[in-house]
Amino acid sequence: MTEPAQMPEAASAPASAPPPVHAPTPAPSRIDDEAAVDLLEELVSAPSLSGEETLAVTLLVLRMRELGFDAHVDAAGNAVGVIGTGSPHMILLGHIDTVSGVVPVRREAGRLYGRGSVDAKGPLVAFVVASARAAAAGRLGGRVTVIGCVEEEVASSRGAHQAATLPAPDACIIGEPSRWDRITLGYKGYLRARLSRVIDAGHGAHDRASAAAQACRLGVHLEARAAEFDAGRTSVWERLLVHVSRVSAGSDGLQDRAELDLVLRLPAELPPDAAQAWLTEHAAGWTVACEGGLSAWDGPRTTSLHRALSRAIASQGGRARFVRKTGTADLNVVAPAWGCPALAYGPGDASLDHTPDEHIEIAEFLAGVAVLEHLLANPAWAAPAD
Amino acid sequence: MPSCTECSAPLSPPTDAVEGEIVPCPECGTELEIVGLDPVALALAPEVEEDWGE
Repeated sequence: MTEPAQMPEAASAPASAPPPVHAPTPAPSRIDDEAAVDLLEELVSAPSLSGEETLAVTLLVLRMRELGFDAHVDAAGNAVGVIGTGSPHMILLGHIDTVSGVVPVRREAGRLYGRGSVDAKGPLVAFVVASARAAAAGRLGGRVTVIGCVEEEVASSRGAHQAATLPAPDACIIGEPSRWDRITLGYKGYLRARLSRVIDAGHGAHDRASAAAQACRLGVHLEARAAEFDAGRTSVWERLLVHVSRVSAGSDGLQDRAELDLVLRLPAELPPDAAQAWLTEHAAGWTVACEGGLSAWDGPRTTSLHRALSRAIASQGGRARFVRKTGTADLNVVAPAWGCPALAYGPGDASLDHTPDEHIEIAEFLAGVAVLEHLLANPAWAAPAD
Repeated sequence: MPSCTECSAPLSPPTDAVEGEIVPCPECGTELEIVGLDPVALALAPEVEEDWGE
């Protein structure tokens, strides 16, 4: 950071508070490739573990203002920047939070390393730079809102739920890495569950399964039931994925307690309520507590937005490919709320998400910026046919 | 004029279409990929890929 980090005013300030005093907005100027990568490195260098995003959000708001955005922090703590005027209106929404784990920030062999470099500050900064470039060139057709959302990596999805209260835009793109020439149409649903059971304590030399053993067996049992559910389903998109994330057991001397934590990745036919019922059915005798349920979301690939993005990819020498993914993203929150054409896009290799080797190829980051700039400068994405 | 590979309905892809773009058949809804531009050629769109992760 090169400026004092003064917290930008929240849009939700009480009515009695003085009106926000934004820094003067300078005339937009084109941000070149070097400055774009510098901005990404700066944001990656700002720690932003889920729930602790204030520093990074403040930084992003300041930098957006410098690039000509009218930017603020919203009630959930998201960084929100608007550039351009009128319609059509595009929302570009990425998440600014990261998972834990320190990956030293460095540039090496054409790559930028760091936690969040690919998931998902790379796509988020690509949104900012592309919007700023299109505006500086006087080619931004309409208005673009860039949102850097908090808490995407945890069950709350707090930032996305706040964003979903905004009026529906004409189109939206979620920033997640899917390669610069690939368009993500949808994500599986999600449900986090904790299954618990209390049994009377007993001597370990007796012929009885301990609480810990029962939790382990339950995990195996549920994986087997999921395999039954998946019988005949060749597509991962259609399958129920059960991931055991934690097994825990303990005792107070009188009672033993076991807990089994699960993350379920849900097919479209199994919304969170149905998934909870499935768990309850197959975990008889266990208490089932769930949180963070999101239904799968899958969009078409023939809207004007999808076609315009395909053309933008072609403008950079690529040929668009389309994908559905096993993860869950803020797309699952805002797309059903807004009902507009929506997809996920962003440069980078998603297999590096959450890994100790997390990085983004700088050339790919810049290719993604160029694609997005081309898209935003050609408002065919909002053709009336949609 | 190109036609749908499934129902033979005539199609008029956008004049600025590019190879790889997916267009729906207005008659049967089949997704078609533009595989050539001069002249315009259509093929059944490839299956959507699947990938792990976010």
